[in-house]
Amino acid sequence: MLMIKCRLYFIFGVIIAIHFLLLLPLNPLKNISCADASQLRLSKGLMCEDIFENAPRNPTIVFSIDQKKAVCFSSFDDVPQKTVIYHNWYHRDVPSAKIRLTLNPPRWSTYSSIQLRRTDIGPWRVEITDENDNVLGVLRFSVTD
Amino acid sequence: MENLFLFISTIRWQDFVDICLNSYILFRFYVLFRGTNVFRVLIGMTVLWFLQRIAISLGLIVTSWVVQGIVAVGAIIIIVVFRNEIRRVLQAKNLKSILWGFSYKSAITPIEIITDSVFEMAQRKCGALIVFPGKEDLSDAVQGGIPWRGLITKEMITSIFWPDNPVHDGAAIVQGDQIRVVGALLPLSHRDDLASHYGTRHRAALGLAETTDALVIVVSEERGDILVAKGNRLREIKQKQTLEENIQQHVGTAALKKGAVKKERLEITAAALLSIVFITGIWFSVSRGQDTLVSLNIPVDYMNRKPGTEIFDTSAKTVSLVLSGSGALVKSITPDQVGVRLDLSKTVIGPNLFSITSENISLPPGIILREVTPSQIEVLIDQTIKKELPVQIDWAGKLPEQLILVDSVTDPATVEVVGGKRILEKIVTLYTEKVLLDNLKGRGELTANLVLNPASLAIAPGFKDKVTIRYLIRNRE
Repeated sequence: MLMIKCRLYFIFGVIIAIHFLLLLPLNPLKNISCADASQLRLSKGLMCEDIFENAPRNPTIVFSIDQKKAVCFSSFDDVPQKTVIYHNWYHRDVPSAKIRLTLNPPRWSTYSSIQLRRTDIGPWRVEITDENDNVLGVLRFSVTD
Repeated sequence: MENLFLFISTIRWQDFVDICLNSYILFRFYVLFRGTNVFRVLIGMTVLWFLQRIAISLGLIVTSWVVQGIVAVGAIIIIVVFRNEIRRVLQAKNLKSILWGFSYKSAITPIEIITDSVFEMAQRKCGALIVFPGKEDLSDAVQGGIPWRGLITKEMITSIFWPDNPVHDGAAIVQGDQIRVVGALLPLSHRDDLASHYGTRHRAALGLAETTDALVIVVSEERGDILVAKGNRLREIKQKQTLEENIQQHVGTAALKKGAVKKERLEITAAALLSIVFITGIWFSVSRGQDTLVSLNIPVDYMNRKPGTEIFDTSAKTVSLVLSGSGALVKSITPDQVGVRLDLSKTVIGPNLFSITSENISLPPGIILREVTPSQIEVLIDQTIKKELPVQIDWAGKLPEQLILVDSVTDPATVEVVGGKRILEKIVTLYTEKVLLDNLKGRGELTANLVLNPASLAIAPGFKDKVTIRYLIRNRE
């Protein structure tokens, strides 16, 4: 009888353990957020006209609206675990777009872009932040005629 | 009584000067032109002007136009017709006599000597022509003549008209106690109704009398008659007394006997008082006659702001004032005469409500405040802080297709700005003025001004309002 009880406790314990193991991946964001954002370091951040073969092409700080788009490229050398960063686009200090990007260990490069219109002419900046709004880097550029 | 004090309080020092100055100008006009036809015409013009004002107030449009036209034309006519008299007044007298001198008629014409001389010349049949000018200027009517300026004596008169004297055919012009001009040529009368025995001397006497207000005495060379020409009349004089009376009446010496100067002074004093009353009346009718309302939008001035604070916002930048006063005063209001000022010495950080009363508003004298909109202003006072802001270049223009701006930096990269806390909390970047790309190439350096927006912001001491920009341009891949 005691043996049966022990087996039942063991099975119950295994079920709970499995249950916890199954539950954890149900919320991946929570999993990613466990990463210590302060450890993230922006190794390279620049504005460019395009991405070609996963590398920035024609880095620049001035975009003509004829270019149609502006790209913000960011690269991280030491990504401890899967995490999330944001590219926050501001036109004359007014928020224009907030783009969520995922980083994977151990190193990861990612980019975001916006389509340029005539109304976008003027000074811009992109703030690269972690999930906790810690600013990892600021890139400044202008959109001209 | 209260109204009287209120009224007196609205009188400006400019009004007092205005009345005094114009009264004096009018008085000087009287002094300079009294007794002349110009003065009479000026009085006529003034009456016409009053008629015009009355016509306007009664709504007689055409009448007021007509009178206005007459006054306008009359002003030109006065200048043209009386130009000689005006010129005589302005040229003959020096500046002192024009501005404050008084010319009392002091020189008395020795009438008895003249009449004795005339009758003696008549007895000897010695022709003579003596002119006594009136108020009008004779310079246009009289031709030639030799200036004499000799005191009148019987011997002098008889010697001037002595037949062997070269100037005996001309006229002698008498002014005061002097013979001013001798041998003057007078205009001849063209009348047909003159007696046949009248010669050129008679026609000359009548010619001058007809065209001016002068009195001319003629002594006939052929008949020994004495005639006096005045206006259109040529009258024969038989007795000395009659001649004396004629001359006295013309030159006005009867008025210059004992007490005459005193009477003249009284007349001038009365004229001075009348000038003041007249101008004061005009001033009242013009400046206080009509009450006019005007609405002005006046910007609010803030004074005595506490150190370390600044105005973040106000519920109104300007206030609308409804003012009343006479039309002339209201029209003369200039923006710098009206002010709305709020004292910020007792404000606190945050919203402060001010009621706008007459104490906050400065108005020129004579202008009354009727209404203020808005009657209250909320002023949001902010704390002054410093904030270090990153500088960003505001690029503009376009690079050639093959070029690309790779990098740029500013020196300094950040600038400290002073301003209201509420404003600076929202500002995260300090932009430069627009920097044109069009002519840039390669690597270079330039300077650009910083743009402070809003204007209440200021660059902190120790920082410049310009930055140096270093740039790098390369060929596109």
